[in-house]
Amino acid sequence: MAILRKVGEKLKNIAARNKKRVGRAISRKKAKETVVREEKRETLGIHETAVVQAKFSTPEPGRPVRRAMEDLPAGYHENKIVLQVRDPWWLHSYWELTSDAIDALRRRLGESFRGSRMALRVYDVSYIIFDGKNANSYFDIEVNPQATSWYIDTKGPGRSWCVELGFRLANGDFIAIIRSNTVHTPIDGPSWITDEEWMIPDDVFARLYGMGFGLGQSSPVGKAWQERLKRELYSGALSSGASPVKKHLQQKGFWMVVNTELVVYGATEPDAKLTVQGKPVALRADGTFTLRFALPDGRQVIPVEAVSADSSQRRSVTPIVSRETR
Amino acid sequence: MHKGYLSIVLHSHLPYVRHPDYEDFLEEDWLYEAITETYIPLIEVFQRLIDDKVDFRISLGLSPTLVSMFLDPLLEARYLKHINKLIELAHKEVERTRWQPEFQHLALMYLDNFYRARSIFERYNGNLSIPFKDLQDLGKVEIVTCGATHGYLPLMEAVRPSVRAQVKVAADHYQKVFGRRPGGIWLPECGYYPGYDEILKEAGIRYFFSDAHGVLHATPRPKYGVFAPIYCKSGVACFGRDLESAKQVWSSIEGYPGDYVYREFYRDIGFDLDHEYIKPYIHPDGIRVNTGIKYYRISGSENKQPYDPYLAREKAAVHAGNFMFNRERQIGHLYGLLGKKPLVVSPYDAELYGHWWYEGVIWLEMFLRKIHFDQKTIRLITPSEYLAENPRNQVATPSMSSWGWKGYSEMWLQGPNDWLYRHLHKASERMTELARGFPQSDGLLRRALNQALRELLLAQGSDWAFIMATGTHVPYATKRSKEHLLSFTRLYEDIKSNYIDEKWLADIEYRDNIFPDIDYRIHQ
Repeated sequence: MAILRKVGEKLKNIAARNKKRVGRAISRKKAKETVVREEKRETLGIHETAVVQAKFSTPEPGRPVRRAMEDLPAGYHENKIVLQVRDPWWLHSYWELTSDAIDALRRRLGESFRGSRMALRVYDVSYIIFDGKNANSYFDIEVNPQATSWYIDTKGPGRSWCVELGFRLANGDFIAIIRSNTVHTPIDGPSWITDEEWMIPDDVFARLYGMGFGLGQSSPVGKAWQERLKRELYSGALSSGASPVKKHLQQKGFWMVVNTELVVYGATEPDAKLTVQGKPVALRADGTFTLRFALPDGRQVIPVEAVSADSSQRRSVTPIVSRETR
Repeated sequence: MHKGYLSIVLHSHLPYVRHPDYEDFLEEDWLYEAITETYIPLIEVFQRLIDDKVDFRISLGLSPTLVSMFLDPLLEARYLKHINKLIELAHKEVERTRWQPEFQHLALMYLDNFYRARSIFERYNGNLSIPFKDLQDLGKVEIVTCGATHGYLPLMEAVRPSVRAQVKVAADHYQKVFGRRPGGIWLPECGYYPGYDEILKEAGIRYFFSDAHGVLHATPRPKYGVFAPIYCKSGVACFGRDLESAKQVWSSIEGYPGDYVYREFYRDIGFDLDHEYIKPYIHPDGIRVNTGIKYYRISGSENKQPYDPYLAREKAAVHAGNFMFNRERQIGHLYGLLGKKPLVVSPYDAELYGHWWYEGVIWLEMFLRKIHFDQKTIRLITPSEYLAENPRNQVATPSMSSWGWKGYSEMWLQGPNDWLYRHLHKASERMTELARGFPQSDGLLRRALNQALRELLLAQGSDWAFIMATGTHVPYATKRSKEHLLSFTRLYEDIKSNYIDEKWLADIEYRDNIFPDIDYRIHQ
């Protein structure tokens, strides 16, 4: 248990360090990290992502949009805020606030509205039925009045959350306008709760835990944790040149490819039998034929022979072609 | 006496790509490539094993969108056209490579592959759900269902009626096609949020899969880690993925598919050959596409060596032996540690086999043969069989999780795709409103209501958000999301204003014809 706790703390430190770098709550624009940038990392699900991507491996069409598309509305003229879970630490919230709602608040508050700022109040509502006042704790995030969504760093895996969007007044009061649904973030490690009937010694569970993550039979849990953290949070050290996945991602430098092909074509009587290098060739209805060969370095002797339908006559022509690459 | 169980799961899914308005639609190639390179080769493998009396068990996830495409006459006709063109091209290749023996035998190999694919496709009249159903009826393959359109469920938490619709439409479709209720479900992207097991139970589904941390981080702590299923409070079982066996196949580091003698996916004659020559076999607009004819091995450098199928086959046999050896060791070790027979669950994307990892299908066949003939430690089992033999399992609530990038929802919820959810959730709310507002309906109104649910489900497919995040085919994914949402909105408004444009309705019923027997009242 002691090892687990120690490593658990280490996890928190690393997670905290990682977040400090990213900033407390990143705006929508800043959150536009796509998977591409991170792709070199050995994170969970990276191979699955690459393989699934290969299913959609046809190149992109440059086709024009053939008919004008109406677009989706910017909003639905309602006051609403929705909260969803991204991972154990981060939530995503989007909202719509009508100007009517803001105007009504402005009228109601009169002078005290001046200098107020739009803010999200994030409530920890774990293990309670939230009534607006009984949250375990809360924190505020000031948001740009134009923003309609936000990624929220809760620093709290395994908790329940609810947010309100409203205005923080100059005197510090928070006036909520809309409240979200409640969501639960998953825990970021094994549960501390054990079932008496299904007890397991800590050291055995530690080994099973490491094995479950594919870290081998001998890995003690401390190491397993660290490996997992590395993979998830900041590892770029693991790489391999062997994979077709990686190959695809590498940028090609300046390059050139040259190949040669040889076209052999001609004509004879439409009902004649024709062979090229001894192999029969089907003639078109008008007696013409075209063959196309990849032409490697070296000398190619290409006997072309036609035999008339009644086998009484034959013609033979033998082009000789050689290719040399310097 | 065996010491433990191994359950292999192949999950196959493609989004519904059917575009009757266009003669050639690039994205339909996703389906045609997967048919030729994965689904038909898998059917061949299973058939050969049965012919040779090799006993095996495997679970196969078939998403309802994929099964619906198997059943669609338009796509069937188009696949035949597609494979016929490939056969024509392969003939030309055999001729063109006459002076290049190192390539000509490969051209002949592809020609043979294409002919066999066509013959199997024709044997089932183009309906590939038939051979899979037969395999299930023989007791060798257990087919699990999926979300109706592979919607990523944890991001529907704010609109649970949509989770219910994804699950129930899938289960009902499964019953219609496979003649029984589905025992299990592959939750799209393994996306689980606590409580969804209740919805599975309502649909009569007895188990689902989660990634390793879904079970390892379950509450209370799972006694056997991922090496035994757990029961949710609802009684629905959750099977956790084993990452050790996963890495051997998936990983770019330890994984088999990156071996230098295996075929290189990215060197396709559709891109390599002279434009004039290849033009009839690529997109009519001149866009180069994969043909499936690939002549090189991975090689380990930019200077690619010609592919050698014999060498690759030998390597696949070595890798199959290695995989078996590792599983025997793993299971032997776990048997000692747990004091009971462990279960190792190894799920993969089916399209990994054959399409991405060309030799994967051979590897799988060799592995299944070796398991049957060469060892006594491991017993292959399906989740249903496991539960029947081991009905007593620990009760615990799995942790929210997915098997996607970083293990949670970030793949489908990030800068390039997070704008979607505002619209998807609104449409879900409106669908619930319609379902409750019209407990009875008939005629045109009923058609409009059912079509509204089809459009909503199609908009929810996780593929669109995935594609937006990975950055290729983004315009297509965006267009699909928006078009289905816009069609939904128009239907909603028409229904509310009691003015349904029958001509337009008939048009989108024809275009988006998935789930002909859908009942909109499921969305509640």
